[in-house]
Amino acid sequence: MTAIEIDNTYDDPTKRTPLVLGGKDFTAVTDAVCNVAERPTTLGWKIAFALALSFLGLLGACILYLVTTGVGVWGNNQPVSWGFPIVNFVFWVGIGHAGTLISAILFLFRQNWRTGINRFAEAMTIFAVICAAMFPGIHVGRPWLAYWLFPIPNQMQMWPQFRSPLLWDVFAVSTYATASVLFWYVGMIPDLATLRDRSTGKVRQILYGIFSLGWTGSSRHWHRYERAYLLLSALCTPLVLSVHSVVSFDFATSQLPGWHTTIFPPYFVAGAVYGGFAMVLNLIIPARAFFGLKDIITPRHIENCAKILLATGLIVAYSYSMEFWTAWYSGNHYERFTFWNRAFGPYAWSCWVMLWCNAMSPQFMWSKRLRKSMVAVFICATFGNIGMWFERFEIIITSLTRDFLPTNWWPFHPTLIDIAMLAGSFGLFFTLFLLFCRFLPVVAMAEVKSIMPEAHPHHGHPELQTPDQRRTDYRPDEVGDPDAAAIGIP
Amino acid sequence: MSSIKHHVTGLEYWRSLEQLADSPEIQELVDKEFPGYTPDFIKKSSRRGFLKLMSASLALAGVGLTGCRRWPREKLAPYSSNPRDRMVGIPEQYATIWEQNGVGKPLLVTSYDGRPIKIEGNPSHPFSWTVPGKIGSADTFAQASVLELYDNHRSRNVINRSRKFAEYTSWDDFTKFANTHFGELKGKKGEGFVVLSEASVSPSFLAIKKRFQAAFPSAGWYEYEALSCDNERQGAQLAFGKPVRSILHLDKAQVAVLLDADVLGDHPAHTRYAGDWAVNRRSADNKGADQKMSRVYIAESAYSLTGTNADVRIGVDPSRLYHIARAIAAQLGVEGFSGSEGLTPAETSFVASAVKDLKEAKEKKAAVMAAGAAAEPHVHAVVHAINESLEAPGNTVTLIEDPAGDRTQSHMDAIADLSQKILGGTITTLLIIGGNPFYDAPTDVHFRDALAKLPVSIHLSLFDDETSRACKWHLPRAHYLEAWGDARSWDGSATVAQPLIEPLYGGKSPIEVLALIAGEAITAGEQIVERTWKEEFQISDENKWRKLLADGILANSAAKPLNDVKIQKVDYPAPAAAPAGMTLRFQGDPRTFDGRFANNGWLQETPDPLTKLVWDNAVVLSKHDADQLGLVVGDMVRLTAGGDSLEVAVYVLPGQPTGVVGITVGYGRNAAGHIGDNLGFNAYVLRTSKTAYVSPGVKIEKLDKTYVLGMTQDHHLIDAIGQEGRDKRIGAKHESGLILHEATFAEYVKDPRAPHGITIGRVGLQLFEQTGGKREFFQDSHAWGMSVDMSACIGCHACAVACQAENNIPIVGKHAVLNHREMNWIRIDRYFKGDPNDSNEIEVLYQPVMCQHCENAPCEQVCPVAATMHDSEGLNVMVYNRCIGTRYCSNNCPYKVRRFNYFDWHSQDPRETWGKPYLNIPDLQQLEQVDKIEQMQFNPEVSVRMRGVMEKCTYCIQRIHTKTQSKRAQGTDVVDGDIITACQQACPTQAIVFGNLLEKTAKVTQLHQNPRSYAMLDDTLNTAPRTKYLAKLRNPVEEQEEKAKSGNA
Repeated sequence: MTAIEIDNTYDDPTKRTPLVLGGKDFTAVTDAVCNVAERPTTLGWKIAFALALSFLGLLGACILYLVTTGVGVWGNNQPVSWGFPIVNFVFWVGIGHAGTLISAILFLFRQNWRTGINRFAEAMTIFAVICAAMFPGIHVGRPWLAYWLFPIPNQMQMWPQFRSPLLWDVFAVSTYATASVLFWYVGMIPDLATLRDRSTGKVRQILYGIFSLGWTGSSRHWHRYERAYLLLSALCTPLVLSVHSVVSFDFATSQLPGWHTTIFPPYFVAGAVYGGFAMVLNLIIPARAFFGLKDIITPRHIENCAKILLATGLIVAYSYSMEFWTAWYSGNHYERFTFWNRAFGPYAWSCWVMLWCNAMSPQFMWSKRLRKSMVAVFICATFGNIGMWFERFEIIITSLTRDFLPTNWWPFHPTLIDIAMLAGSFGLFFTLFLLFCRFLPVVAMAEVKSIMPEAHPHHGHPELQTPDQRRTDYRPDEVGDPDAAAIGIP
Repeated sequence: MSSIKHHVTGLEYWRSLEQLADSPEIQELVDKEFPGYTPDFIKKSSRRGFLKLMSASLALAGVGLTGCRRWPREKLAPYSSNPRDRMVGIPEQYATIWEQNGVGKPLLVTSYDGRPIKIEGNPSHPFSWTVPGKIGSADTFAQASVLELYDNHRSRNVINRSRKFAEYTSWDDFTKFANTHFGELKGKKGEGFVVLSEASVSPSFLAIKKRFQAAFPSAGWYEYEALSCDNERQGAQLAFGKPVRSILHLDKAQVAVLLDADVLGDHPAHTRYAGDWAVNRRSADNKGADQKMSRVYIAESAYSLTGTNADVRIGVDPSRLYHIARAIAAQLGVEGFSGSEGLTPAETSFVASAVKDLKEAKEKKAAVMAAGAAAEPHVHAVVHAINESLEAPGNTVTLIEDPAGDRTQSHMDAIADLSQKILGGTITTLLIIGGNPFYDAPTDVHFRDALAKLPVSIHLSLFDDETSRACKWHLPRAHYLEAWGDARSWDGSATVAQPLIEPLYGGKSPIEVLALIAGEAITAGEQIVERTWKEEFQISDENKWRKLLADGILANSAAKPLNDVKIQKVDYPAPAAAPAGMTLRFQGDPRTFDGRFANNGWLQETPDPLTKLVWDNAVVLSKHDADQLGLVVGDMVRLTAGGDSLEVAVYVLPGQPTGVVGITVGYGRNAAGHIGDNLGFNAYVLRTSKTAYVSPGVKIEKLDKTYVLGMTQDHHLIDAIGQEGRDKRIGAKHESGLILHEATFAEYVKDPRAPHGITIGRVGLQLFEQTGGKREFFQDSHAWGMSVDMSACIGCHACAVACQAENNIPIVGKHAVLNHREMNWIRIDRYFKGDPNDSNEIEVLYQPVMCQHCENAPCEQVCPVAATMHDSEGLNVMVYNRCIGTRYCSNNCPYKVRRFNYFDWHSQDPRETWGKPYLNIPDLQQLEQVDKIEQMQFNPEVSVRMRGVMEKCTYCIQRIHTKTQSKRAQGTDVVDGDIITACQQACPTQAIVFGNLLEKTAKVTQLHQNPRSYAMLDDTLNTAPRTKYLAKLRNPVEEQEEKAKSGNA
């Protein structure tokens, strides 16, 4: 294949940047994406899957031990009633933000570059929400009664307590999960039909056939599909903001110093988007290489994600400084103490890890050079993920270890089960993710095609109608891109 | 043996080859299957003869004269038809008394359908009442003894170790052995036979002892207790020439000067003393001329409960007590004393202030001095002389004849003497009644070697413990709740101890065993006790006997005050100066006492009031000494005293006197039972008969090892930020902080709001209209509330154990405590104030914290399943069955008083370090896993919580409802004093008061209006707690003098 290396990260207002490179036309895009699901299972995938599965097994064993023994197998203690499980819950819910943001908000804002990564990000969202939802379920003291959190009519006439933020959580997360799954699935129908049509095996034909809901590609189907997609994106947009706001209420509405803060809803949402994009980048940078999707998920996509990383990182950094300011300005002894204790107390290291990862490391993304470097972006994104986990650790653990009465102060030590469950939740996530990569269209082919010039033959850029013309006519070197010139585009 | 032959007898089944072979021996055995059954007798008798025999048997059986009863008459058996005065499910209370170390503790035991479940003080007895006739208080040991009753590690068998292997046998076997062995000894008049008994002045015990000695006139009798009042007894002997016991009246004492006397903590009468002490603390709230407050001085060699509650305290080496006592005597002008030189500056100023106050108080006959168990006898003697000059006897002290005064030697001398005798080879038989001398005897007497030499040694004890294992026979002892007995309390008043239950494990009481061995005709405990009371107290009439049992005290049985005793000698040689090195001070342990309660989980998990250690003891060092030696909490050291050494963990205690290291005995046992084995460090290995309480010249070496000490507070070293935050919250010395309010008495007199210090004028501005504080919101006639007086709280933890017993609170074990998962619903927060480097500067504050029952409860708003909510009477209630365990409530509770069942603690082994899976329905775990006998202890009024649910203090809602319902059934309403919570009941100082805040005259309503009253954190969080604290008041010297100065200026 004669891949044409074009740097599409350059912004020229006069020209529409191509989002699919490598001279790919519709067929090539279809081939490239479907190939991921159709080609024989690779050894790399098998190894990765075996690894993920073993961590999932670890998680299962831990849950079994937990349920038969009691939640005391964790390190939670008297002041620290919430430990790792809730840290992990908030972490995973946060990760789950990027997908829907990319799919819904960027769709409404007509950010065409989203098409290359939205399927991927949405899948990540759903799997992250699954990981997140698992934790509150097993975190309660009597997990077999966790269903009491739902307002189910019962003979005792008992209802949940609607003033509790935990109940709001139940609604927020379940709504979010439902909407995200729906959105993801509806968007996938045309692509599933494509896979169905290309399938040779009977099993695949039947399964893809069932899930593509009889898609024929008729105009009427397309029309309804697009209406539904638009409506769902409108529905999902407020959810992006609501779910983490509601999660933040768990903390903000309590009276614990360090939790009781009005800044939490926006701060949590920004943090979640930051963390979500970090996770998208961490997944997509290796995946695009691994699955040969570099032409569809181009450096421009990565760069745009990095920019969002920077923007949300700045909001997060601002929120941190605002928290400290408020603690000082309030004059409240307990509040002030909590923040001093965060920065300089026994858990100061977690605070500084967090500040480095979330406030400092995104600053590197100011540099276009680093934004274009996959390695640099990957490292920054990794810091983002670590930082966001520690942010939750710091909010939950550090605040709880030292609250009002000094006699209650007690440190928190995670047990092996705590750590195994965190690792196990990654096992669950990657198991699902690898299955997704193996059997489902990892890129929204139909949507990608819709933003290719071929889809708009009479709109704006007649000169870029065909791949051949694109190859010759789009010459970044004419507008002075040294990188492109160096590559030597014909 | 005969050969097996073809059997022709028609046997289908056979028992052994011998039987199959039909050998004559076997035939004989088979014939003897019903020994005494001689069918020929019946066959031979005539019809008339047969009828005569049958009617006689029937008459004997039916009328129940002697023959065929299933149970001896004194036994308690479940009834098949309901007695008239009894209703199933309605608990009953019985008065009894429990003798510990020769001093009886009057008790009231609650029994539920035949199961004793709760122990309280007898409100009819002056040595346990706090509100006469209404509330009785019992200490932690007495309250926890109910757990010991149901301890399934208690011994269940007579054990015979005379042969190679221990043989689990029966009382019958022992009786057989005793009949032959002691029959022989009787013939020899008991030559070579000795008894080693624990201390007892029980009338029945002494009576049976007399009969015993009559049966074995040459037998020796020794008494040994590891911890005793020997010094006090010998001091009185020195001073008065006869055994005299002092009873302090701290309620009459405006000034008390104590020399190492922990009258509030480990004194046998500490419950009474604490109650009396509190009277003169509470008087600070009186109006006008009655507004006064006592001042307690203490010079002590170990930081004690009394020390933490004293107004003026110095820490000294034990050898200084004599000098201080003499100096006080000299400055007071006591005859025979002169000169007070050689004191350190701290001692000089202590003595000067004490003397000034004593002189003033003497005018009002309100001065007293006392010395403690560890003080040398001549310190006691000097104190007696001072008391006489202060005119204390008859006013602040009552002198009585010592009920244990017949003892001529100290316990240490007794055991030394006994060991020597045994090692000398003249003794063949030793009977040990209770105690555990193998474990707790001083090392220099070599009791262990002595015990090994004996051909016959018998030990009666609750557990098959160290001593039992070294003896030839172990006899299971009946718990005091299972056996008849009697005892005398500190003032000598006697009463009967009645059993509440049949011996669970077939034990016998000491009097029964002594009667058995002496070959008495009457060996049943009840009959022995009845006989004693008939003979000694003339209780012959059934009504009197019943009344005695019901009251739990025999009126006018207390020892008469001795008004004629006079000091005989006041001049004693000064003790030799202590050798170089540190001084080691042995103390009784607040958990295990002398080791006897080691297997009691409640006590193990009741924190030491000062160190907050649980499941462990440690050597206690002052900060100064620890810094010198480079030691921190948890370091291991080697203590060397004399020739013995012990490796032990270090606890650095602010306030511990410099140069003195303290250690509690009673740990490091290895045959205590599953709970108490191998915990802590055995301090007895350093103790000799000469250094029973004080061992001068010990060496400490730091070892390159550390140890994890279990403690419920301050587990980790605090950093600078934490220290700063803590100081702001608790305040500086003598000053109020945010959460702890305190003031000196002088400040309080000047301005009653003084204790609230920096929180005065803090107004929590509210966005919304508040329901908090508006009781009418609930439209109910009750608004329950509580008041906790920090000024009266001495930190004894009696309330915590009471709560544990009342509310079925599990223990969690050291491992879980290390992760701060202990379950006590009430905890005593202990805070230090002052410069940790100066042990005389340290102040301690106790704050009991339980659920505050906030009107704006933060926990209620966050529970997603409505498992915790408010009831109409203002209680913050917890619905255990509804709780799923999100633990959000605990996070949102600023007081962190909620407790979570991380495991099914009742079925979890507290010595286990990890959770064991349970594969059945989780909520049934404890039903299936908790021992059936242990289950008997549970209070049926309170749900036993399953794992995964949150729990907390309910203000004893079961007691509230029992009372209100029964009153409602009578058509009335509860009045103040009807409902007494478990903690309130146990509190010896009435620091905890519960009641209805809508009742204007209720004590709690008045206390809530007391100017000292404040609600913790309410100024910050607007939680509107129903529990309010009364600020701590102290009466130190300096402040008053400063005030006087400024008043003059």
